[in-house]
Amino acid sequence: MPICRVMNEMIPLPSRFTDRAALLAHIRALAGDSAADMPVPDIAAGGRRAAETALAAIDPRAYAVSRNHLDGAVTRLSPYIRHGVLSLDEVRNAALASVGDARQAEKFIQELAWRDYWQRVYLAHPERIWADVESYKTGFDASEYDPDLPADIAAGETGVACIDQFVATLVDTGYLHNHARMYLAAYIVHWRRVCWQAGARFFLDHLIDGDPASNNLSWQWIASTFSNKPYIFNLENVAKYCGPDINTIPRHNLVLDQSYERLSDLLFPYMGGTHG
Amino acid sequence: MADLVWLHEEALRLTHPVFAAAGPDAACVFVWDAARLAESHVGLKRQLFIYETLCEMASARAMEIHQGQAEAVLPRLAEAAGAGRILVPASPDPAIRAAIACLRRAAPHCEVVAVEDTPFATLTSQPDLRRFFRYWNKAKKSALRPQGI
Repeated sequence: MPICRVMNEMIPLPSRFTDRAALLAHIRALAGDSAADMPVPDIAAGGRRAAETALAAIDPRAYAVSRNHLDGAVTRLSPYIRHGVLSLDEVRNAALASVGDARQAEKFIQELAWRDYWQRVYLAHPERIWADVESYKTGFDASEYDPDLPADIAAGETGVACIDQFVATLVDTGYLHNHARMYLAAYIVHWRRVCWQAGARFFLDHLIDGDPASNNLSWQWIASTFSNKPYIFNLENVAKYCGPDINTIPRHNLVLDQSYERLSDLLFPYMGGTHG
Repeated sequence: MADLVWLHEEALRLTHPVFAAAGPDAACVFVWDAARLAESHVGLKRQLFIYETLCEMASARAMEIHQGQAEAVLPRLAEAAGAGRILVPASPDPAIRAAIACLRRAAPHCEVVAVEDTPFATLTSQPDLRRFFRYWNKAKKSALRPQGI
């Protein structure tokens, strides 16, 4: 029985739309968003059918050897797991069923375990989601980091070619490969000395798998407020993992084109050499 | 008395144990709180993903989407449905946990039950959460075995 039959004053919202554009217009109206026309974003399809299609395609063995590459055998399951369309339990079971030996799925399942771990931290210590778990291990005090995200980063106009491409992908698709997330986060926190909270908000606003625990605690891992040292990278590493679609021409990425030792000296002048 | 299932954006599937815990004729509702979504940094792209998922769910099972604050909307819906229990997927999200606490005060005639999802790993003791690998060393054995089947 429809609940609202006896509650005339409470009319349910519609659940059928002619297309995604109509649904987007409905959501924008609910949000009170009357800004200029917004194109329909090119994001993953919602719903269980799309989730099951993605789950049926996982290859834990290929994932184990190629997941760090932008064109590797990543699953794109994250938005479905984040919103409970798929449970971690059933994804793990599907991974085990797809291999002959559980050890072949171990790396894949360990990555699922990160999600379980972050959720346990979230439940036990919800205050850690927006506060530094530990001090920065960069030689800088938290007060020395900019509390706001600079406009050029939000607009993808930093002048660092690969960083601007990562921002554009994030904003256009609501998705970014994990390695690209790490590069972008490290650039924001360590090259621009912006506090991780500002970057975490930026990611949550755009990612369709945005999760306060997984996202924010990962930012703290990059920043070194929830890890033993800051994570940094260099252009050579980007070139190794990102393939030809990402611009890694040195003159277009000058601030990244250094050795790790030189970057450590430049980024953390009050520390001994360190990198992730 | 009947049951009312309150779904939220942390548990968008019809196979969640909350449905097995509820009676077979339980009404089901998602409360769309645009202000809370915005405060939680759920941008329009993610809202689109969530609502698209809700539309598919509503095509497979009777469920309604209502606008407003959960703690304000649900007591009225529970009363209309003649529900004695409101069942909700458990979540670590402080906003959802606060809404559950508010709901318990706002609907004292209803029992509000948070239903846990099937576990990923079953641990025999509290893990050390200071670093991932301390947790993983305890969780690994359970995590590498199929469960919940």
